[in-house]
Amino acid sequence: MHWRLFATLAETAGDTEVEVDVDAGATVGDAFDALLETYPALEDEVLDEDGDLYEHVRLLHEGRDPFSEEDGFETVLEDGDELALFPPVSGG
Amino acid sequence: MQVLGIVGPSDSGKTTLVERLAERLSGDGRVATVKHLKTEPTVDTEGKDTARHRAAGAAVTFGITDDAGWFATGADRSLDETLDEVAADADYALVEGYSASPLPTVALGGRDHAGETVATAPEADAVDLDEVVAAVDALEPYESLGSLVAEVKASPDARYAGAIATFTGRVRTQEDADDEPTEHLEFEKYDGVAEERLATIRSELEARDGVHEVRMHHRTGVVEAGEDIVFVVVLAGHRREAFETVEDGIDRLKDEVPLFKKEVTVDDAFWSHERPE
Repeated sequence: MHWRLFATLAETAGDTEVEVDVDAGATVGDAFDALLETYPALEDEVLDEDGDLYEHVRLLHEGRDPFSEEDGFETVLEDGDELALFPPVSGG
Repeated sequence: MQVLGIVGPSDSGKTTLVERLAERLSGDGRVATVKHLKTEPTVDTEGKDTARHRAAGAAVTFGITDDAGWFATGADRSLDETLDEVAADADYALVEGYSASPLPTVALGGRDHAGETVATAPEADAVDLDEVVAAVDALEPYESLGSLVAEVKASPDARYAGAIATFTGRVRTQEDADDEPTEHLEFEKYDGVAEERLATIRSELEARDGVHEVRMHHRTGVVEAGEDIVFVVVLAGHRREAFETVEDGIDRLKDEVPLFKKEVTVDDAFWSHERPE
């Protein structure tokens, strides 16, 4: 599964684009776990003390917010989907 | 406006390539060209009336005929301000010889350049014009406040519009005299998703009563202190809805569009979200 990382998260991981291996029928949660396994340093930046995604960290699945528009971490991925993880946006 | 730089050593045929591209592109739109000169321009020679104007201290001098063209000369002009200006009425700008500027570039004869490479070739004859033209049309357009204002003025609804409101965001060097000066900002964009978000904001704002056109553009990459970063332009029936919409446009852009700002000062570099304003 293809991940895009931005700003501080890309710097922490040392990569802006990452492929992670997940099985067919995997969910957003599976791909997220695989990402953190590949880059353990990301954990401190994206997870709070309870192991939940920080509110300020955004995760997008194919440009959509899976938590408000889909089934959150349970959202099932299609082959070739793109996931993205980034800190608060700061344009302008 | 699509901008293309052409760089190369002096015998590589830069000007020939600019000529070929200008001939080709002028069938599709208005072409502006800019040439980096290393010596004083010779268009306006000593003794001419306009040369006398210039010698007397005029900052800018125009020589304008009724039907045989015009020329201008002046003291100071940067490439950026020139592009900002021509973007208002040109569809293409071909820029010859500015290898240190970060423009999408065709590099001849192995010349180093600061911008993204569109094509390379040993000399002009080896350039595939079709490929270059297709690549130029696919580039992200160069926009300025002037180009966006010109675009909304050309709207079929312009006859119903009595107001244009604009917002320009620029790189602030200092908050106050004691603040460590910012040298430049670097903007990163989530390509594709950023454009989708901008398109959504635009269409929602354009659906408002009395709002005819909305344009938004955010520059990416390095933006130097004092330079423009972002523009929002609204064409509306009356000033109230123009002001409200331009404010909502920039607020929504800052909240919703995946753009990331890194600030570089003399001694430091940091991502903006880590230091709330």
